[in-house]
This record gives sequence, C-alpha cells and structure tokens, in this order.
Amino acid sequence: MQRQVALVKQSLFDQGYLDEQFMELEDLQDDANPNFVEEVATLYFKDSARLINNIDQALERGSFDFNRLDSYMHQFKGSSTSIGASKVKTECTMFREYCRAGNAEGCLRTFQQLKKEHATLRKKLEHYFQMARQAGPKETARRPK
Amino acid sequence: MTVEQDIEALDQFPVGMRVLAVDDDQTCLRILQTLLHRCQYHVTTTNQAQTALELLRENKNRFDLVISDVDMPDMDGFKLLELVGLEMDLPVIMLSAHSDPKYVMKGVKHGACDYLLKPVRIEELKNIWQHVVRKGKLKKKTSSVSNGGEYGGDSDHNGVRANRKRKDQFEEEAEEEERGNENDDPTAPKKPRVVWTRELHNKFLVAVDHLGVKEAVPKKILDMMNVDKLTRENVASHLQKFRVALKKITDEANQQANMAAIDSHFMQMSSLKGFGSFHHNHHHHHRQIGSGQYHNGATAMRHYPSNMTLGRLDSLAGRFPNVSSSLPRNHNDGGYILQGLPMASPSLTSQQSSLMASPSNLLLLNGQPQTSPPSLNPGFSPRFDINKRLDQWSNAALSTNIPQSDVHSKPDALEWNLLNSNLDTNPTTFCTNTDFGSSNAAQANCFEIQRREHGIEEGLCMGQQKQQSGFMASDAGSLNDIVNSIMTKEESQAEFSEGDLGFGWFSPLRTCI
Repeated sequence: MQRQVALVKQSLFDQGYLDEQFMELEDLQDDANPNFVEEVATLYFKDSARLINNIDQALERGSFDFNRLDSYMHQFKGSSTSIGASKVKTECTMFREYCRAGNAEGCLRTFQQLKKEHATLRKKLEHYFQMARQAGPKETARRPK
Repeated sequence: MTVEQDIEALDQFPVGMRVLAVDDDQTCLRILQTLLHRCQYHVTTTNQAQTALELLRENKNRFDLVISDVDMPDMDGFKLLELVGLEMDLPVIMLSAHSDPKYVMKGVKHGACDYLLKPVRIEELKNIWQHVVRKGKLKKKTSSVSNGGEYGGDSDHNGVRANRKRKDQFEEEAEEEERGNENDDPTAPKKPRVVWTRELHNKFLVAVDHLGVKEAVPKKILDMMNVDKLTRENVASHLQKFRVALKKITDEANQQANMAAIDSHFMQMSSLKGFGSFHHNHHHHHRQIGSGQYHNGATAMRHYPSNMTLGRLDSLAGRFPNVSSSLPRNHNDGGYILQGLPMASPSLTSQQSSLMASPSNLLLLNGQPQTSPPSLNPGFSPRFDINKRLDQWSNAALSTNIPQSDVHSKPDALEWNLLNSNLDTNPTTFCTNTDFGSSNAAQANCFEIQRREHGIEEGLCMGQQKQQSGFMASDAGSLNDIVNSIMTKEESQAEFSEGDLGFGWFSPLRTCI
C-alpha cells in the first residue's frame, strides 16, 4: 500500500501536475501538523473553486474587464503556485497573457483548459490523499533531507 | 508580555519572534503560517488588512514584524505597509506573486524592509528576523544591548538607553551618518536626498498641524506643502520620524517628575549663563528641585522638556515669583528649568507670565542649573541653536533616511548634540534674539502658544532625565517642529528670525543630555 501511495505521488510529479513546491509542503508536515498537506490542498480547492466561479461569471457577462480578470487570475496563480499545482499555474500564466493582450477568445479558451486541469488535479489529489490516509500517516514519503 | 517573558523572548531571539501575517489568500496564509512556525516564530494570522491594522493599533508592542501580501481586496498592501511604518514603525515585509521590479520598487519606496516572492521558501523566512534587529526594535530590558539594538519603543526605560546609545554614537561620529540604529536596507536603492531645511520643515509642520495628527498622511501633507520635487515618500519618512519623536516626547513627558526650582530661578535670571550650570548630569531622573509646587507646574513643563517650551513658559509664568529659589543645580534637564518656573509662583499673573516668558525662554535655553543658577545667560540663543538643530536634524534625518525604514533615532541624536554644542558655545547669542523688549510680544505669543500647546506638551513631555542627549535631540527636533507649527499658527514666527522663542526653549532640552 505504501508503495502504491508513493507511486501515485511520483506519477503526479512525473506528469507535471505537481512540482517542487508540493514537496516543500510535505516537508512542513510533521507530528505537529500531521495532515498539513491535505489541509492546504483542501483550502486551495475551496478558494480556487470560488475564484473559478467569479471568473466564470465575469466571462459569461461578456464584458471582458481584462483588468479584473487579470486580477482574479493573479490570485489564482498565487495560490496554485503555493501548493505546487504546476499545470494549473501554467494555464493561469497563459490566461494572463491573453488578458494583457486583450484577447477575449484566447482567455476563454485558456480558461476552459484551466478548469479542466484544475478538476483533474483535484481528483488526483483526492485519490492520493485517500490512499495516503489508508496507508497510514507514516506512508507519506518524505524527501530525504 | 510580561517583562520576564520579554526578556526571555529576547534571550532566545529570533526564536519566538512575534510575526503578524496578512494575506487574503487562505491557502497562502496557511502555508505561510506553517512556514513561520517552522522557523519557531510566534505567528498571528489574519486575512484582512483592516483587522491587521486593528490588531497593531491595539497594542503596538505585540508584534515584532509584519508580513503582508501586496494584493488584498480590502486594502492595498502598500497602503498597509505605509500605515504600519508610520504608526507603529514596525518592520514590514511584502509578499507577492508579482515579481515585476516595479512592484518591488514600490514596496521599497513605501518602506518595506524586504520583498519576497511567492511561493515563499522557508529559507527566506529563516532570515527575516534580521529586519527586526535592523530596525532596532529589539527590545531589551537589560542594558547589555547589541549595538543599535535597543530601540525599546515601548518603554521609556528602553528609550533612555536607546537615547544614550544614540548620543554616544553621535558623539563619536560626525554629525553625518548615524550608525547606531541606522536601518539601511542594503537592498534599498539610494534615493536622492531631500534636505529638510527649516523652511521645508516649517511647511511640513504647518501641513501636519493643519491636518491634525490623525489626518496627517503623507499624501495630504505633500499636497499641502506644495513643494516641487518633494515626493510622497520623502514626506512619509519624515513624518515617520516626526511621529516617533513625538511619541518619545510623549513618553518622556510622562516621566517628568522633576520640576526644578532652577527653572523659576532661571526665569528671573535673564542670563543664559545659567545654562551651563544646568548642564547637570542628566542621568538623574526627575529631581525635585523646587517645592512641591513644581510638581504641578512641572508637569506641564516637563511635558515639554525641551521641545514644548510653550507649555513651560506657561507654567513658568505662573511661577515666576518663586523663581528665586535656588536653582536646582542638580536639575538635569533644561526643561526642568522651565518647569520649575511655573511652580515657583503660581500666583503669577499674565503679566508676570510675559515677564517670565522672557526669562523662561532663557531658562529653557539654559536648562542647565548647575553652573550659575541665578544667571540666565541672555546671550544664549537657543533659538539659533534650535534652528540650527532643526536644520541639522533635518539634514541628519535626510542624510540618514533614505530608506523609509530608517530608524529615527539618528537625527534626533544629531540634533541633540548639535543643540548641546550650540548651547554651550553660544550663550550670548540668545540675547540678541530674545531681547525682552521685542521678545515680549513674541513671548506673549509664545505663551499663548504654550497655553494652547499645553495640552500637547503634556503629551509631549519628555523625560528629560531619562533621555540621553540623543533622545533629547529627537525631542528637541520634534518639539521644534511642534513649536514651529505652533509658532507658525500664532504668527509669532514673524517676530523671530529663525529661532522662534519656541526654539529657544529647546535649548533646555539640551540640558537634559
């Protein structure tokens, strides 16, 4: 089981869903904070869901307030970076580029992509955390110091 | 924290350093919190800038350092940064996902000690305690403090030490750079120095005065001053110093316990020579020089130790008749002199007040009971000194204060020393400025001002005793400012060349040194 957990995690990294930052977070997990990573991930998804909603609404309105969109996305990018959501972060960056270029269509397209990545990551992480919990707390592989 | 806790915390510093983290992003905040905990800091978090401000205002000494995100919905991070710097003078570190140099520059200009990019790494957080030390906010209750480390803003005790240190430093160094508490963020780009000349400073004071302490924000002050090439940042840092000096004065004022008969004594004497005599050891805290009367008047005076001559003159006036009591040689602060005056003769009428005004001016200047108590050296020209001091303070402030995060102590110390030296060397100059004939009017103004300022003085009282020269300097500077503004209002400044009487009163400050 433990190995499975490790493998799952490894694949997340390999596929580029997660990056170094996620490992940093794992480093912070300790006895005082046994579920730190999961807590943070939960927070992130809650927050980002709200942001995605806001952006969705803004886009649906069709008014394309690029400044506002850029600002939302900046926030999104910030938290995505903090948890190491690599692919999501990439989409954020692209979205902002389109915003700056005033490219509405580009924004829409990228946003769809972003939502997809976001949903995928969420699923994968949920799966991962579930496994980790099942395997027991010690199973969370730590990066060798 | 109790004193013991404080001491303990200090001993273990940077462990237990109290950080306030502000970020509207919950994810980032949580991560930041954990990172900081990992560094063994004591962390308080909030996702609202407004809450953060409230927390800080509630108790300025509750935190050592603030880390704040830049983009926050309820308040711009830079604005928070500025406010914290001005009101609490705590080191603030900015956090942002923006790596754009423009933002970094903005952060620095607004006074940030550092600018970190998200995602923050723990390695970076491990060193942030340096900013607390740099700002001299390391509060130590013991006298063995690292160089420049004891700013001790939260207690006069510390303030005194800080002052002493500053003064020592000052005496060692030229009046240029103040090194002790200099907070020179190495990453801060050097900005062209703005010289806060007397005129400029006066404008500043007028603006601040006009706006009121609460409303005096850099932008408004800048607008009111209407000076070319002056930036908001210049004003902000200047204001920062001003406020710190003000605070010190307030703190010190509360310490005043010593009303010197000397003050009244001096009043009578118009010779400023007494000044030298007052130059008593300043280490003594309030000496009860005069009768108990001093106490009441003294309070007023005390509040003024050197800066708020206005108040003192006021009280002095009332005290005049009793001035004759022997000058309290041991009167430490020049300010006492004045203070003592009021005490001496509560029955003084306004006439006497004016009378007193003159001598009080002198007294203030002298503030040095020691030498020849009864003889105030009219030649003393505190005014000049003060003006000079002010300028020097301005210069010092400016020269040392490029980054907003500068510690204020330096200019003060500078000023102090200057004042002291001035006082000592030019005892006669004052006379010229304050010839009683003409100065009476001015003095009357001064009195008025004093009276008006009395309230302020109270708050501004400086603990002369406690203050070291450096401290005094700062007070002097700030008092000068205050006096300046007051004077300006009263138009009494018109009567004076440069050194308003108010300034003259600063000299007593010097004695405190």
